[in-house]
Amino acid sequence: MLEIRDLVVSYGAIEAVRGVTLTAVPGAITAIVGANGAGKSSLLRAISGLAPIRGGSVMLDGKDITTVSASRRAEMGLSHAMEGRRIFRQLTVEENLQLAWQFGRRRNAWASALDRVFQTFPILKEKRRTPAGLMSGGQQQMLIVSVATICNPATLLLDEPSLGLAPIIVQEIYAFFTERCREDGTTVLLAEQMAALALKVSAHGYVLRQGRVVREGPSKELVDTGLVAALSSAYL
Amino acid sequence: MIIAFRTVLTRLITHPVFILAAIAALFFGSAFLSGGTVAILGFLMLNILLAQSMNLLTGIAGQISLGHAGFYGMGAYASGILMKTVGLPFVVTVPAAALIGALTGYLLSFPAGRVREFYLAMMTLAFGLIFREVVREWDDLTGGAVGLSGVPSTTLRTLHVFGYTLDGLDYFRVILIVTVIVMWLVHNFIQSRYGRAFYAIHASEVAAGCLGIPRAGTKQLAYTLAAGMAGLAGGLYAHMIGYLGPESFDLARSIAVLVTTVVGGLGSMAGQIMSAVVFTFLPEKLQVFAEYQFIVYGLILAFTLILLPRGLAGLLLLPPRFIKPSSLRHAVAAEVAIRPVETDKDAALVVQGVTMRFGGLTAVDDVSLELHPGRITALIGPNGSGKSTLVNVISGIYTPAAGSVRFFGETITGLPDHRIAASGLLRTFQDPRLVPRFTVRENLLLGAHRRYKSSALAATLGLPSAAREEAQFLGTVEAVTRMAGISDVLDQPLESLPYGYRRLVEVGRALLAEPRAILLDEPAAGLSEAEMTLLARMIRAMKEAGLMVLLIEHHMDFVAELVDDVVVLDSGRVIYHGDIGGMRQSPEVIAAYLGTAETEHA
Amino acid sequence: MEEFLTLLLAGVSVGAVYGLIAIGLNLTFWTTKTMNFGQGSVMMLCAMLTATMIAQGWPQVLSILAALAVIVVLMVFTETYTVRPALKIEGSMGWAVSTLGVGIVLQGFASLWFGSQALAFPDIIFSAIDDVVVFGVHMSLQYLAVLVLALVLVVAFELLVRGTVWGRAMRAVSMDADLASVIGIPVRIIVLGSYIGSGVLAGISGILVAQIGGTVDPAFGFELVIFGFVAAVLGGMGSTTGALAGGLVAGVLQQMVGGYISSAAQHGMAFALLILILVVRPQGLFGQREVVKV
Repeated sequence: MLEIRDLVVSYGAIEAVRGVTLTAVPGAITAIVGANGAGKSSLLRAISGLAPIRGGSVMLDGKDITTVSASRRAEMGLSHAMEGRRIFRQLTVEENLQLAWQFGRRRNAWASALDRVFQTFPILKEKRRTPAGLMSGGQQQMLIVSVATICNPATLLLDEPSLGLAPIIVQEIYAFFTERCREDGTTVLLAEQMAALALKVSAHGYVLRQGRVVREGPSKELVDTGLVAALSSAYL
Repeated sequence: MIIAFRTVLTRLITHPVFILAAIAALFFGSAFLSGGTVAILGFLMLNILLAQSMNLLTGIAGQISLGHAGFYGMGAYASGILMKTVGLPFVVTVPAAALIGALTGYLLSFPAGRVREFYLAMMTLAFGLIFREVVREWDDLTGGAVGLSGVPSTTLRTLHVFGYTLDGLDYFRVILIVTVIVMWLVHNFIQSRYGRAFYAIHASEVAAGCLGIPRAGTKQLAYTLAAGMAGLAGGLYAHMIGYLGPESFDLARSIAVLVTTVVGGLGSMAGQIMSAVVFTFLPEKLQVFAEYQFIVYGLILAFTLILLPRGLAGLLLLPPRFIKPSSLRHAVAAEVAIRPVETDKDAALVVQGVTMRFGGLTAVDDVSLELHPGRITALIGPNGSGKSTLVNVISGIYTPAAGSVRFFGETITGLPDHRIAASGLLRTFQDPRLVPRFTVRENLLLGAHRRYKSSALAATLGLPSAAREEAQFLGTVEAVTRMAGISDVLDQPLESLPYGYRRLVEVGRALLAEPRAILLDEPAAGLSEAEMTLLARMIRAMKEAGLMVLLIEHHMDFVAELVDDVVVLDSGRVIYHGDIGGMRQSPEVIAAYLGTAETEHA
Repeated sequence: MEEFLTLLLAGVSVGAVYGLIAIGLNLTFWTTKTMNFGQGSVMMLCAMLTATMIAQGWPQVLSILAALAVIVVLMVFTETYTVRPALKIEGSMGWAVSTLGVGIVLQGFASLWFGSQALAFPDIIFSAIDDVVVFGVHMSLQYLAVLVLALVLVVAFELLVRGTVWGRAMRAVSMDADLASVIGIPVRIIVLGSYIGSGVLAGISGILVAQIGGTVDPAFGFELVIFGFVAAVLGGMGSTTGALAGGLVAGVLQQMVGGYISSAAQHGMAFALLILILVVRPQGLFGQREVVKV
């Protein structure tokens, strides 16, 4: 259960998030959509502990984690797949996965955790000894979501996982965490610029604009009420 | 209360009457002091010179020097050897000492601008060490560890200048005058575009590059000047005692200078004087201090920058400024903020088939667009569409894999960023690269840097030509601030103002350079409604003056009212080019931003 | 010929230690892009403490371990109170001045406690006159032993970094500290660990050099750290192989120049080498060009 209340995030003089309150639906996908600069990434970074919180609070499973360090939050079952396709490029696929498994909150044995990843993404098994930097964008993203989920986190933050990927790969990635959500009951917070896609797979949605929530509601409603068209004016 | 105290104290010690009175007091009053005290005062002057030299290098230009005693020693031994062994007169050897010091600094600083700061820091540490070792070993020339004695000096009454024998009092007066003159020159230098350029390099190298300030060259100049000053001090030192030994120029000496500068306050000339007084008299008066000197100095270095980063000057005085008050008083009122751009048939920015790759990723794919005078074009696209990369290619930060960029008919593809800036094509950055400690006025004035014609010499000597030029640009600064609506905060440090002001100042600064084309990278991000109105006003004024404007933005409301046409990028390619109304209807654009719910393919 | 081989052995022996020093400097550069400018005093302190304790009658191994323990505490202090706070303030070089300050304080204390005279360093590994005759040439056992020890340590270090989980965690932090922390790596501990590791390597290096040289004095370390830095830069800042290679080259050149030309030339050579590399090939032999992304 992830609750954010009146969150304020600022980098020096810039206020990236200006008082956001949201609740991630437990065991389901919650979408955060908005144009670039709306504050989606800053919001996720504040939740995972990478960005300093100037005001408000973040509650994870009833515990206030506002001042807890990022690595501690990871240990508590919070995982963050950052924007920008970030992975340890000089380490191999297997080394990346092992690091994440080693330092996260482990539930399974290494062998079965690795097996699960390889079953989901057979290409990663093929490339297990390839340095991550040498793989294609899509393969890297597969690795990134695998790294983020190898410890079966209770809460998963995804920052624009579809960015720059071919539609067919986007489909695979989306199928992956949708299933994780269903199978493991993971709470997913999905930030996307591509609103249509994110709203399609999510239960609830928040529209961010310049650091504030301007619309929220069940995703189906947001889509049905022609909000996509209205959204385009928020973007365009 | 504290500000009032600082203001009063600063006004007092910078007042010409006070300064002249102090100099006169020292000059004439020294006749009534004992020989020993006069000698200490002489050392004080030398320490002031050394502190000022390091202040210029480290405090203003931000370059570290951990072996400063090496420059001091170069000058000392140079003057001593030239006079004793070669027999050259005082008026030749001391300037020679300064030149040799300067040459050493110049050679040492060759890696500057190519490597990270700390490499150079290590190198200066190594230099200090090497200097002492070489002096110790090269006994034929320097007397080795035993030292060089018999240097003509005032102590032994063997120093003759133009047939007149100088005694301790005369020499002190000579040193005093030299110190005063050097400080006056340095003061002029700092309060000119050169001082501002030095500090800009310190505060933000990338911004400095875009302003036409050469990074490596400026750093080298800083080392050269500072080493020259230290060499001069060394030359004067040599003839005070008549004996030079390598222990006078070892690590302890370098540390002492560094401590003096850090405690005085990096960047403040007045602070250096205060600190030099403390550290010249303290070791003399407190024997205990001498014993624990190294430990005290070490503790000071370890914690001062953390606890008291601006030193004594930060505590007691107002922050130093980089514009002469006299120039401010004579600012020439300017009528227009932006001079109209002359156009010819080639007046356009033509981007043709530009492709940019990073490893396996194609960030910009065969993009073409044109900018024309008096037109505002928006460049938009979702995150990662290649907008910033394209702007980086146009402004010279990247060289594209394919395609060309032509500006006023000339091909500028692949030219370095400062060359492109010099040709009149300027850009702003997503996070404004300004100098936080500078006032709004000083930041804006930086924009005119490459338009100055007066030389460093003219500025240092305070010649009327330099003063006139400064006054002229200050006038333009005032006109731009009026247009931007920020006149009331002109003399406040930028770091004390809300974020929106930085944007306005950055755009205003670009205007000071008289650009012919301007690329604005997300200027409206983070601005309040009021600030956006001011920004829009500035951009419209640019259009009226005939500039070519490229506006990268996400903020559609802001863009809609301003632009003449729109170019939309997605995944590095142009997917729409036309007016804004059409863009809102274009299915490709909507799909690019919002994605489609259908991702399945048959 | 004998002179050449003797100098060569001395060169590779000292050079291997320079490599160790360079690796220590690399460690903190990896995790924080900083370097302890007072590293020389760390080397000196460790050697001096060891020498003093042995002179007091303590067992050799215990003395070394006790000295290293002091170094560990010192490095924790340095990182926590002079590096970390300095990184928070504006301007890149605050930490260089503050770490230099700590080094100066140590040098000051050492001068007060031990006097500024050189202290004799006891024979821990063989003695200065022990030698072995190989192909008719006398080779100092001490130099050989130091060479072997240093190489063993370099190899052990590489194995630790590449083979252990914490080693890989450290590489992860050096690649992307944010990413490392979100996958659960305690970045703070890694950074502290890198400073401690750097200090331990420096301390051991100090002992090894003091052993070969026979004496240690308060100013002993400054020149060493410069040679270590030359080695690091020559090999490529951040590369372990480079550090060793750079160290060997620097060491051999130093001994050759010192032996055949003069002692002063040997210092000048190091400096000239440094300037040359920084101007011609700043990334060193094995390093990578640092690109500034706008």
